[in-house]
Amino acid sequence: MLQNYSQPLEFTNLTTWIDSTLGANLPSFWSIAIEMVLVAVALLAVYSLTAMILIYVERKITAFFQARIGPNRVGKYGIFQTVADVIKILLKEIIHVNKVDKFLFYAAPFFMIVASMLTFGAIPFAQGLHAVDFNIGVFYVTAVSSLGIIGVLLAGWSSNNKYSMIGAMRSGAQFVSYELSAGFALMTMVVLTGTMQLSEMIESQRFCWNIFNGHISAIVAFIIYLISGHAETNRGPFDLPEAESELTAGYHTEYSGLQFGFFYLAEYLNMFIIASIAATVFLGGWMPLQVRGWDAFNQIMWYLPSYMWFTIKVFLLIFFSLWVRWSFPRLRIDQLLNLEWKYLLPINLVNILVMVLLVLAGWTLNDIF
Amino acid sequence: MAQQIIFYILAIVISVFSIMAVSSKRLIRSATYLLFVLLATAGLYILLGYYYLFAVQTAVYAGGIMILFIFAILLTQKPGDKIAPEPMRQRLLAIALSVIGLAFTAHIIMHNINRVYTLMDTQITTKHIGMTLMGTEKFQYLLPFELISVLLLACIVGGIMIARRR
Amino acid sequence: MRTFPEYISDLFGGIKSLLTGLSVTWKELWTKKVTQQYPENRSTLVISDRFRAELVMPHDENNEHACTACGICQMNCPNGTIQVIPKMVETEDGKKKKLLDRYVYDLGMCTFCNLCVLTCPSDAIKFTNQFENATFTRGKLVQQLNKEGSQLRAKKPAAPKTQIQTPPKEA
Repeated sequence: MLQNYSQPLEFTNLTTWIDSTLGANLPSFWSIAIEMVLVAVALLAVYSLTAMILIYVERKITAFFQARIGPNRVGKYGIFQTVADVIKILLKEIIHVNKVDKFLFYAAPFFMIVASMLTFGAIPFAQGLHAVDFNIGVFYVTAVSSLGIIGVLLAGWSSNNKYSMIGAMRSGAQFVSYELSAGFALMTMVVLTGTMQLSEMIESQRFCWNIFNGHISAIVAFIIYLISGHAETNRGPFDLPEAESELTAGYHTEYSGLQFGFFYLAEYLNMFIIASIAATVFLGGWMPLQVRGWDAFNQIMWYLPSYMWFTIKVFLLIFFSLWVRWSFPRLRIDQLLNLEWKYLLPINLVNILVMVLLVLAGWTLNDIF
Repeated sequence: MAQQIIFYILAIVISVFSIMAVSSKRLIRSATYLLFVLLATAGLYILLGYYYLFAVQTAVYAGGIMILFIFAILLTQKPGDKIAPEPMRQRLLAIALSVIGLAFTAHIIMHNINRVYTLMDTQITTKHIGMTLMGTEKFQYLLPFELISVLLLACIVGGIMIARRR
Repeated sequence: MRTFPEYISDLFGGIKSLLTGLSVTWKELWTKKVTQQYPENRSTLVISDRFRAELVMPHDENNEHACTACGICQMNCPNGTIQVIPKMVETEDGKKKKLLDRYVYDLGMCTFCNLCVLTCPSDAIKFTNQFENATFTRGKLVQQLNKEGSQLRAKKPAAPKTQIQTPPKEA
């Protein structure tokens, strides 16, 4: 790929430097091993940092939606609130519940965290910051993220608690239904771009984001993806599995300390993952806003490094998710399933057909202009 | 070297959890062990570089079928209770049958492995798989694909019929 | 079975209502924040007048209150917060009259239901919004509402004043 714009603040220089230094001084096996460890450590660090930032952002924005100030005691504007919370949760005792199925009870949080971690690795954060780039990227993301639900089901069952059980059952029904919609919405965009690889997808959106490129159909797919993504992460108006007023905390009622922390972390990260996949597939990922032929403009856009572009897009979507969360009341389970099976899925099926026709007839914006 | 180590780890995981899946006394634990087996199989695919197969394995088996399994088990009566052990005669019979099955499969695999075994160097692209599934030429699979979809349609119709009969 | 046009109009009606909801919360996002940062803004804190924090018995400048010791408040109190302790005094013309000796109010028991204030025939008591009532012992929550040496306000200025031969009050 040809990038003849100067990109002063990219991470690419750093990663290339690390790679070349290691390659020059070590046998290739060891340099690869060290790089793998580095990537893993970096991902874990970004993972936990993102969660902390997200928790702070969520609490603040939630407060603003409710005409409150939000956390403002720990540090200026309360920015160290989540740090304090994390320290607290690390120091908390893990309460061992007696009549649980021990093996499943302790294994369940790991399903959640592993599933979201696997998905997290496949997100293209910036130019060159893309740990796992399969040629089936989008499919990989959908496949791997579906593992988390097993954690929910097992947690709910093994807790030996009716609240947990009901929460898990609701979660299962919800996830199985909405995964279909999310998959179809992504499939619509795969039809448009003709590839499943996330990096190629971003590259193809260089001058025209997918949401503009596929106009009607892409916008419908985008909205459907956001809705079903929300439902998959058990947030917003779709938080039946952990409905506080009915089920205490749903499937993680019996968990405490770090195990609860895992669920909590995975929930926030899932929100981030859904937002980043939406940003990558529909809004051009880390690609700066560019217009064909306006070289000066494009150069200025590139001065803002690509990870900043990615962050801005993702946080806009996360803001939208919070906005939705604090606007709408929780759905009842029959309304939830009605929405999916009677509205989203038929619309999605029609939409994917429309997209195929658009692509075949050459009515996408890229084809027209 | 590294690949071999990973392969052996995965193989051990698969065999241990397979045995645990059939020997566990609790239904839901069996399902979980089976899930580990399926995930390790997916790991084997990724080791071979068959990413598409890996994703299909994870999405369909781990994400889809296992959820339905666990769901179905949760709906049964007392899924956490220990199952009473089978009588000795049946157990011996089961062991004998499984050993025979193992020997049979192993013989076929051993006999044929050198004749058909080729590891593709290049990644199989999704496009290639799609073309193969939808093609009508030799070594292409449109007919089986459509047959399977007819089967699924029959299943759906049957399910609806059962559900409608109140 | 619904018809297809109904389905479509349902769908768009739903979308419209969702957008209305979103616009409402969007406006709410930019409203002034109502959080009171209490210990810091103690001097400027505004508490609603109708906030019921503590029962008081207003006394005027002559140290007179309006409580006739009828005990209606005590009877109406759902959980025995109020105890009206009357005393009998003899007026000038030899009549016996019931007057208030002590009006004991237990803040720790009070549910701030306002029934005492509503039922009081002579408007002798009211709730104030002085909410900083925390104490270190429960005993301090039991308060005597009539002040030392206070007496009943005369109904009419012309009416003859009752002479009180109060024995010195015990604490």
